[in-house]
Amino acid sequence: MNNPYLDGLASIAPEIVLTVTALAALVFDLVVKGRESVRVGYLSLAGLAATAWFLFGQWGTESHTAFGMVSIDQFGNFFKLFTVAALAVVVLYVMHDRRERKSGVGEYYFLLLGAAIGIFFMVSTSNLLLMVLGFELLSLSSYSLAGFHKGNRKSAEASMKYVIFGGLSTGIMVYGISLLYGLTGTIDLAQMATSPNLLAQVSANPIPLGIATVLILAGFAYKISLAPFHFWTPDVYEGAPTPVTTFLAVASKAAGFGALLRFLGALFVGQSGNALGSYGERVTLMLALLAAITMTLGNFAALRQSSLKRMLAYSSIAHAGYVMVGIACMTREGFSAAMYYLAAYYFMNLGAFGFLVYFEGVTGSDTIDSLKGMGFKAPLISMVMVAFLVSLTGLPPTVGFYGKYLLFVEGVDEGLMWLVVIAALNSVVSLFYYLRVAKALFLNKPAEADAAPAPLLTGFVTVLGLATVGFGLYVAPLESWANRSLDLLKAASGS
Amino acid sequence: MQSQILTWITFLPLIGMAVILLLPKTSMNAIKGVSLAATFLAMVLGTWLYFYGFEQKSLAEIEAARATGDILGAQFVQRIDWIDSIKAQYYVGIDGLSVALVWLTTVLLFVGVIASFGMEKAGKAYYALLLMLEVGILGVFVSLDLFLFYVFWEVMLLPMYFLIGIWGGPRREYAAIKFFLYTLAGSVLMLVAIVALRLDSGTFSIPQLTELAVSGKLLGMSLPANGVLLGMDFTTWVFWFLFVGFAIKVPVWPFHTWLPDAHVEAPTPISVILAGILLKLGGYGMLRACFPLAPDAFHESAFILGVLGVISIVYGAFVALGQSDFKKMVAYSSVSHMGYVLLGMAAFTVWGMEGAVLQMFNHGTSSAALFLIVGVIYDRAHHRDLNGFGGLSQLMPRYWALTTLGFFAALGLPGLAGFVSEAMTLVGSFQAADTRFQVLVLISTLGIVFTAAFLLYAMQRVFLGKKNAKYEGIEEINFREVFCQAPFLFLCVLFGILPYLLLDWMHPSVQNLINILKVQG
Repeated sequence: MNNPYLDGLASIAPEIVLTVTALAALVFDLVVKGRESVRVGYLSLAGLAATAWFLFGQWGTESHTAFGMVSIDQFGNFFKLFTVAALAVVVLYVMHDRRERKSGVGEYYFLLLGAAIGIFFMVSTSNLLLMVLGFELLSLSSYSLAGFHKGNRKSAEASMKYVIFGGLSTGIMVYGISLLYGLTGTIDLAQMATSPNLLAQVSANPIPLGIATVLILAGFAYKISLAPFHFWTPDVYEGAPTPVTTFLAVASKAAGFGALLRFLGALFVGQSGNALGSYGERVTLMLALLAAITMTLGNFAALRQSSLKRMLAYSSIAHAGYVMVGIACMTREGFSAAMYYLAAYYFMNLGAFGFLVYFEGVTGSDTIDSLKGMGFKAPLISMVMVAFLVSLTGLPPTVGFYGKYLLFVEGVDEGLMWLVVIAALNSVVSLFYYLRVAKALFLNKPAEADAAPAPLLTGFVTVLGLATVGFGLYVAPLESWANRSLDLLKAASGS
Repeated sequence: MQSQILTWITFLPLIGMAVILLLPKTSMNAIKGVSLAATFLAMVLGTWLYFYGFEQKSLAEIEAARATGDILGAQFVQRIDWIDSIKAQYYVGIDGLSVALVWLTTVLLFVGVIASFGMEKAGKAYYALLLMLEVGILGVFVSLDLFLFYVFWEVMLLPMYFLIGIWGGPRREYAAIKFFLYTLAGSVLMLVAIVALRLDSGTFSIPQLTELAVSGKLLGMSLPANGVLLGMDFTTWVFWFLFVGFAIKVPVWPFHTWLPDAHVEAPTPISVILAGILLKLGGYGMLRACFPLAPDAFHESAFILGVLGVISIVYGAFVALGQSDFKKMVAYSSVSHMGYVLLGMAAFTVWGMEGAVLQMFNHGTSSAALFLIVGVIYDRAHHRDLNGFGGLSQLMPRYWALTTLGFFAALGLPGLAGFVSEAMTLVGSFQAADTRFQVLVLISTLGIVFTAAFLLYAMQRVFLGKKNAKYEGIEEINFREVFCQAPFLFLCVLFGILPYLLLDWMHPSVQNLINILKVQG
């Protein structure tokens, strides 16, 4: 057992399981051709459960494998578990999406699992080359997923827009990375951060580093749809099948944040032996401006939407802005708050999209108008939706409130008071459009049409709703998870 | 049990709510029974607390408590760690400022449930939301931890939104969303201030924060840039952020515009609760979590607050005079009456401050009575146009008698509760160290004249004059309606004659508050 390659394989067991599951889903679909999608779905769920099992096995361990390209650490573990959990929910939504066609679903699951593999590599490497590869695997899978409704013009348009924007931003990002490589002679973030060469170069002339940082940030900003790189988001989110939208809005976005946190954490968050710590302040200002623009633009654009799906798209842009408040702090505590907020975002946004999946099945439409009076027809899921809306607005006693509270605390602590005030006022704006959904559900006359029950989906969304409120009252588990995950980023970036 | 009594009072309605949610939609009698039982039990506990449980400590005893870290001398304290990482605690307790308001809340909600029995549309969700609202209100009054305070503060919003939005009048959607947006706009600013206070002091405990603030140690010195925001120093902006949050709730002119809309559209029991107790949260919040946390800024801006109070008094009464909608008139009268609260507090004298707290309680009873009175006529005539009635005194003599009592209590007739508290705030303001307050008092007497005018004018139009033939067979006020109004009118008379029944409870706490704030100023 002294073969280093075999040892390395053990530490990427979760990735291997995911790959096997993806391939199995593809083959299984051919074998049971013409059958319901449900079986392939269960297969995927089983694969995800096995992946999660291996991820828990790696809990708390730290290793660098495959020539040091893949880092197994708690930080990556956080985002991997996040992805697995989100993907499991998405698979459940695919299985319960009544509008989903029943053939070719094997590819659907295959692509979703493939995207997850991309995320896994993206968040667990400090090697920029591997990060870009993961990034691309995620993107390519997402392009196809967005256009999965081949006959649907909107879906096709979404896919096309996604490809063009995605290709461009990857190009920009890779160019930035090449500049960074030129400056340091290495492609590994951990080595870059401690490179004496870099420090010498930067103190002589900081401009190349500035350009490289801006270009790389642009690539990340595209993935997490920060303004002004958000233009693809509403169209893609609207055109893509709803479960895919859910995946893009939750898992894919969180992965972008994961990679961004690792990048910034390694290069700029000040600590001993870090060459660029002193340049963190300039990055802070840039990120804070991005945050302010993103949340304001997302919220104001969401005000005018008549489609719930599009509204949730803009709302997810706004939430990316809130997360950026924590990241802009450029401190470990700020990052921890951002990660807590991502966990909060998981519950409330998955829940809101689950509600959307249900109502698209019932009414065949995603407009807010079509929800009128449905609160009286399907009271449980609608009540739970109100809990998600409350959490998205950031009102207690929900997980969204506590997340915002933590972000505000870190913002104030780092002297970003102006940004915190903007974020607070943004919450008020967001209330207005979130309430439109609650209003349509409960304040309008009961609808004529009956809502066909979907007990499994409802039950599942209700669990998410209970978690949204429950973790808002009992915050310790999520908070300590987010905190613990960052302790290892500190070690990784310091080494 | 004794030390947990506040928890029981606060969460009894929550238990009731859980039971209601489990009951089937069709068993309305059971739902009503459970809501009645939950609010009744809370009222029994609240009454016990006020008359027996709460110990009237002397000022010396309260001051002695300061050595043990409790500057407020709170009673029935329960303190449990809640969120360790940010040191938020489940920390509840009451003092002379809150005990009467807790009692009033439990009474009002009990009556609110009975008054709701007349609403045919009110179903399972309605009673569940009503009970959730009670949890939020009581929670705010008993919280001594700023984080907990904020959580309860926000918990109130959603039930109120739905109660107005689903069961309200024709423009209910607009009114409900306006209420929510206004309140939230205020409370997010509060949150920013709370965050800043927490970072500077390392605690959420209100007594501890007060202690730090009055000894000049809460100046934002541990924050980046010393907590300066847009050129304003820490205490100034903290004060204004908190103040605006509470002022929207009071509501103080110019933040009052949500109130007439919300009142007009809300169903009667909700109007009663809104005017009777929700508005008091604003005034109470200022005394508990605004002035004591930024005493310097409070003293600096006292005159501005006084001016805002006087504008509210005069403007509210003047606009009420011009209303033809009965309910809107009463709503504007609330703006006017709550103006006295602000004026009295700003004057910063014992009489002014005590008058303000007393006025909060008395406005709670008299405005509740007025909204119930409006509800009675609206249920029968289905409109509230003051000009559309006439001569009702001959058709509904008992109703007229009760209305007269309610009106006189509202306009401050000596012998009734409103007179005592208004007189105290005015006298107290006249004694203020800042002599400009004497001018304010003079101006605010205009409000008294206008108040008398609009109430008497309304009385004349509705009850006196020629009988309106349309309402020949109108039904006299029934037993349930009398039963709802009786407690409030009784309290108006009782505290008009024996105001010390309230004053003795609050006096030591108010005196203590003034003493600790004075040291700084």
